[in-house]
Amino acid sequence: MTAQRHAEIFALVQNNIYEVLPDVEGREIKPGDRLTDLGANSVDRAEIVMLAMEALSLHIQRVELSGVKNVGELVDALYAKSHGQ
Amino acid sequence: MRPVGIEAMNVFGGSAYVDVRELMEHRQLDTSRFEQLLMSRKTVALPSEDPVTFGVNAARPILDALSDAERNRIELLISCTESGIDFGKSVGSYLHEWLGLNRNCRIFEVKNACYAGTAGLQMAVNFVLSQVSPGAKALVVATDVSRYTVDDGGDSLTMDWAFVEPSSGAGAAAMLVSEMPEVFQLDVGANGYYGYEVMDTCRPTPDGEAGDSDLGLLSYLDCCEQTFQEYRRRIPDADYHTSFDYLAFHTPFGGMVRGAHRTMMRKLKKAKAADIESDFERRVRPGIRYAQHTGNIMGGSVFSSLAGIIDHGSFDTPKRIGCFSYGSGCCAEFYSGVVSRTGSDRLRGLGIEEQLGARRRLTMDQYEAALQANDGVRFGTRNVKIEGADEAARSGSGESSERLVLEEIREFHREYRWVA
Repeated sequence: MTAQRHAEIFALVQNNIYEVLPDVEGREIKPGDRLTDLGANSVDRAEIVMLAMEALSLHIQRVELSGVKNVGELVDALYAKSHGQ
Repeated sequence: MRPVGIEAMNVFGGSAYVDVRELMEHRQLDTSRFEQLLMSRKTVALPSEDPVTFGVNAARPILDALSDAERNRIELLISCTESGIDFGKSVGSYLHEWLGLNRNCRIFEVKNACYAGTAGLQMAVNFVLSQVSPGAKALVVATDVSRYTVDDGGDSLTMDWAFVEPSSGAGAAAMLVSEMPEVFQLDVGANGYYGYEVMDTCRPTPDGEAGDSDLGLLSYLDCCEQTFQEYRRRIPDADYHTSFDYLAFHTPFGGMVRGAHRTMMRKLKKAKAADIESDFERRVRPGIRYAQHTGNIMGGSVFSSLAGIIDHGSFDTPKRIGCFSYGSGCCAEFYSGVVSRTGSDRLRGLGIEEQLGARRRLTMDQYEAALQANDGVRFGTRNVKIEGADEAARSGSGESSERLVLEEIREFHREYRWVA
């Protein structure tokens, strides 16, 4: 079920954001939110991406996930990569 | 196999620095997560300092310790830089002159962003191993200066200013490479290299930097993993946790190194957070010590890290150090070598940290003035006389007696002077 899988990845990313940025824990994360606006510097952003890749057992080059503009796009990219697209 | 590696080395961090937190507050940048970046100070290159003066001042103490006969066996001089001062003439030509090297010497320059220093070192190592000139030595000088005119415009090439200005430093590392590797004996053949085309960070105009810092960070992490996997393909017994007593990283800023180490330990060793942190403190922290004085010195960065470890690590018995070098664009390499007590004592004798501690701290007004003045020595400057060269030399001279300063550019030729 693709919509459910997508929602699961969103929840996963949200939890990773809480883990890396304790200050926003509990706050609702929207697809349009930019990680920078949530207080993430570039080390934080890379950490969030990597935690998600590890949780999804994604064996791709990290650079393939660069260029995403917000949380929604990151989830879309992770979803696409985890389904071999 | 004949031994090969670094016979002597030195790191030079300039004459002036700014406090990074003060700079970030001055720029009104977010400092709420400052501590995790592990930044402290960064070198500011003054107008009388350029890649030549940094390189000469790094190499001079090494050469002063050599006899004339030893000095005359330096048959290869490689300048490694992304801060070139001419498209044709190498920085090395000036280094050769001001270091008084033998004229029967190959002189050339190599470039691949921050990987250049490792590229130069490995070429020097191969020159020694080839034995085409038995007993010959090579001098490798990685020297870089940051410039602050970021080329803005275009959505995809926007630098994260919160990191670029505070992290970019200046500095040089000089290494004498020979078959008497007293300071760092390389593990011959233990090299994992990895490169591919990526547009992460670059210097597309003579004085400008551009790029995508997120892409650079992800590429750095990819390469960290890929180079070690290649290293382990060649040295199957290598273990990231137990084979290396210390790890020297190319250090754009300490927080990035901590992130890379954490990723590697989690991925390769399934290590838990607390164990990773204590491992970082033990094996990695000594290597980011000098970067916290200078900021990112680019080509010399991995050697500054290596020097920090050799100066501040424990070498009662010989220890193996793993080195990770990364240069945007990109090429990266993981390699290793062994340090003994003798080498550690020899390097400590140069007093690198004392020199860093003796530099002058600039106020924000003085820093802004230095940036303005640097505009007068932009790439391509034909004629200029440099003001205040003596002032630059007075700071941070430490034990060494003389410092090279840039005094004038006359018809494009750079004219230097020793200042006591």
